[in-house]
Amino acid sequence: MADKKEVETTGHQWDDDEGFPLKEYNNPLPKWWLYTFWATIIWSFGYWVLYPTWPLVDSFTKGTLGWSMHGEYNKEMDAARAHQKPFNDKLEKLSLKEISQDNQLLQYAISGGKALFGDNCAPCHGSGGVGVKAGGFPTLADDDWLFGGDLETIHETISNGRVGQMPAHLKSAGGNFTDAQVNDLTAYVLSLSGKSQDATAAVRGDALFHGEAACNACHGDKGKGSLKDTVNGQPPPPVGAPNLSDAIWLYGGDPKVVRESIATGRTGLMPAWAKGSKDTGRQLDPLAIKQLTIYVHSLGGGQ
Amino acid sequence: MDPNLARTYDYEVIKKFSIAAVIYAVVGFLVGVILALELTFPGLNADIPYITFGRLRPLHTSAVIFAFGGSVLFATSYYVVQRTCKARLFSDFLSNLTFWGWNLVVVLVVITYPLGITQGKEYAEPIWPIDLLITVVWVAYFINFVGTLAKRKEPHIYVANWFYLAFIITVAMLHIVNNLAVPVSLTDSYPVFAGVQDAMIQWWYGHNAVGFFLTAAFLGLMYYFVPKQAERPVYSYRLSIVHFWALSFMYIWAGPHHLHYTALPDWASTLGATFSIMLLLPSWGGMINGIMTLSGAWHKLRTDPILRFFIVSLSFYGMSTFEGPMMSIKSVNALSHYTDWTIGHVHSGALGWVAMVSFGALYHMMPKLWGVTLYSTRLVNLHFWLATIGVVIYIVAMWISGVMQGLMWRAYDTFGNLNYSFAETVAAMHPYYLIRSIGGIVFLVGALVMVYNLVMTVRGGAKQTPATAA
Amino acid sequence: MQHSTIEKSIPLMSILTLVLVAIGGIVEIVPLFYIKSTIEKVEGMRPYTPLELKGRDLYIREGCYNCHSQMIRPFRDETERYGHYSLAAESMYDHPFQWGSKRTGPDLARIGGKYSNEWHKAHMLKPQHVVPESVMPAYPWLQENVLKTDDIEKRMQVLSMVGVPYSAEQIANAKQDLAAQASGSSDASGLNKRYGNKVPKADFDGQPDKITELDALVAYLQMLGTLVDFSGQQAKAR
Repeated sequence: MADKKEVETTGHQWDDDEGFPLKEYNNPLPKWWLYTFWATIIWSFGYWVLYPTWPLVDSFTKGTLGWSMHGEYNKEMDAARAHQKPFNDKLEKLSLKEISQDNQLLQYAISGGKALFGDNCAPCHGSGGVGVKAGGFPTLADDDWLFGGDLETIHETISNGRVGQMPAHLKSAGGNFTDAQVNDLTAYVLSLSGKSQDATAAVRGDALFHGEAACNACHGDKGKGSLKDTVNGQPPPPVGAPNLSDAIWLYGGDPKVVRESIATGRTGLMPAWAKGSKDTGRQLDPLAIKQLTIYVHSLGGGQ
Repeated sequence: MDPNLARTYDYEVIKKFSIAAVIYAVVGFLVGVILALELTFPGLNADIPYITFGRLRPLHTSAVIFAFGGSVLFATSYYVVQRTCKARLFSDFLSNLTFWGWNLVVVLVVITYPLGITQGKEYAEPIWPIDLLITVVWVAYFINFVGTLAKRKEPHIYVANWFYLAFIITVAMLHIVNNLAVPVSLTDSYPVFAGVQDAMIQWWYGHNAVGFFLTAAFLGLMYYFVPKQAERPVYSYRLSIVHFWALSFMYIWAGPHHLHYTALPDWASTLGATFSIMLLLPSWGGMINGIMTLSGAWHKLRTDPILRFFIVSLSFYGMSTFEGPMMSIKSVNALSHYTDWTIGHVHSGALGWVAMVSFGALYHMMPKLWGVTLYSTRLVNLHFWLATIGVVIYIVAMWISGVMQGLMWRAYDTFGNLNYSFAETVAAMHPYYLIRSIGGIVFLVGALVMVYNLVMTVRGGAKQTPATAA
Repeated sequence: MQHSTIEKSIPLMSILTLVLVAIGGIVEIVPLFYIKSTIEKVEGMRPYTPLELKGRDLYIREGCYNCHSQMIRPFRDETERYGHYSLAAESMYDHPFQWGSKRTGPDLARIGGKYSNEWHKAHMLKPQHVVPESVMPAYPWLQENVLKTDDIEKRMQVLSMVGVPYSAEQIANAKQDLAAQASGSSDASGLNKRYGNKVPKADFDGQPDKITELDALVAYLQMLGTLVDFSGQQAKAR
């Protein structure tokens, strides 16, 4: 085959026993290649003058622009704060109730709350607070509350967290009751929502519930939970004991699961989110908590 | 060819490494497909600990880079250095040591990773005893390679060997420094370095594993097989000198671009970004030399699918070495880092460049090793199209998902609040994970076509001529 | 010097290559060890407790770093999503570092205390039961495997050799501290004395009869990002 342009090879040759021998032309460096290469080098020199680059003895060249990634970050945050300042100023001053009456501010708070909720709360409470498959994490989109669904209570819950403690009852799990007694309690608890299949066991369970086991101390005389029920005419302590008489279950209403709750107990923990409240890796400032409160309240179950 | 001369070359070790390369290619791609499907259909591992994404992903990267890529490099470097020096490999013992040693490394990796026995450093997961074994193999490789070079008949060392030599030397340095650790037991150790220093050293290693394992060494391969297959002289000796030294010097600085905007200081980040930009043209020097070598032989592309593998691999090489510097610009990296864009970029390099150029080299070399002709050129052509289409599907899916992911993470609503939760961005990736899996499957099918073709080639060879004596 | 001189000499070519490739690494790596502003001076950093250290080893064993970063970048969207950007000081005892390179899952640098132990257990057993969108595999074996603790002192000794400031007392009491942290009920005064009162102590996996791998992993996750206090004055960044 004919070469279009005759350029000298270097004269060296390798692997010439079989097939085409390896040779090298000595074409000059392509001009565009060389010029672009120089351009990137010159660009880099310019960059080094402007930006922090070269390590020195106990410091580094800072660059004439005074740029740093953290300085850049602070600028970005300042701009964002300036943009949201009109809203945030009002949010800070007004009470939760007043915020919910100012339509535009409400929209703003819900938007901010939704963003915070998605990354911080949804993993336990589900997107939009609709709950998750695993038991023990309350749905927020219904009106069944453990500690209360008004603005102030939601705010308190988010800020400082909650612990819900249901003790174990079965002897082998550290409680005071036999297998049979736990079965009776289970039958009674199920009967509260009309699900019990063993009426005589439920009668025995009733006695334990209001007697030796004193379940009514937290769940109330009618089992309607610490929020709605009474014990001897007084409200139970605000311990977040769930309503057992509705069809909403925190850990599941399957007889096996209900029995497990009674037998080995449950601990539900809602982390605290307020700054300085507890040693959590992710803490929220007061404005963020206000917005979250408004958002959670708006999910449908707000009281 | 002088039959006496042919007999003086050690082809046996090359044959063994070639077969290993073909097997590891299939294994590496298959594991990749499994991983892609696990992300598409979570729970696919059926609660089996040994094949969770976290344990299998290192196996995939190591199988493709070190088992497949490494075997290709051993095979081709031994082939190239013998033929360009007209000398038999320095030591049969060392040749065998490198083969069995390297394969022992691979076997140990395949056993340890799924068991969760790992060092926990990306692309450097092997535990310390395996690291020591790698070091032994590597020293043997260096001695064997240099020893062969020393026996060369032509005083000038051919350019392909410069690149192989730089690769062997640099990888030794990177491997040793990055794996410095104090053992706790036979399977456990803690690295000497911590935090920000460990991060810098890790990516100094990690980026130059790409730079010297997957770039410099494969350029060496390219400098032999492209002119040989195209039957054209290398385009420019001068360019090869300039880009070789510039590449060797500059590549090593680029590591910090993997750590932009992290807790690595600004100054180191700047060095990483600027050297990555300056690296563009030295990288492209190899592409220019490859493609311009083919110029004048364009008509051969119509009939020679092996040449097609080379030209497309060089094109992917040019594209990824452009994309790389672009992604190392801080503001671009701010978007691309942590996303699938990086995954797409790596695969355009590893599949588009490394695997394609390796396929071309294997198709060229294996018939010569066994003294036969290729079983089917049409199947090479089929493989070429499957591989090309597979890569393109893969990287386009990852570009879209990566950019989308990056943009969704930083999307704000009109009030200036984050628009999407992280979970929503995960859900949005699903269709692209599916498309990516399909791309991977197509690429894998192509590799299986190659296996069939090469098996038939080697077998057919056994019938036609007696195996070359070693 | 003519290039032909170099390309005719193996030693020349080898040495020149080695020198050239060594320069970049030396310039970029060595100063990180001596420039003082590289690692910020912050309050609160402490070595991992024995249980957390075992958990971290499991984090590495399972390859969590393949999908999760532990490095929040100084961008508004990241700090709003994950909290204060990460400081170099926060990983100063991490051998190896676990900053990660990919976020198939979210960043974990400040996951500590964000969710309850019950959540972590439910999530590890079946991620999709709490996060339907998740593509994470389940890790049921973690709550079945009893934690291997026989090598804990050795591990801490090795870490102290490479610069983690474990005291002789901390190493000597490793097993005791590990059990105290994982039980949540037994006396933790020794643990508190050696690692601070803030150390989260609980029966992390809800199985009081045994200390499992899940206990260790959750203990590790629950401390991530909790050591440096960002609530008041922002930690002084360089």
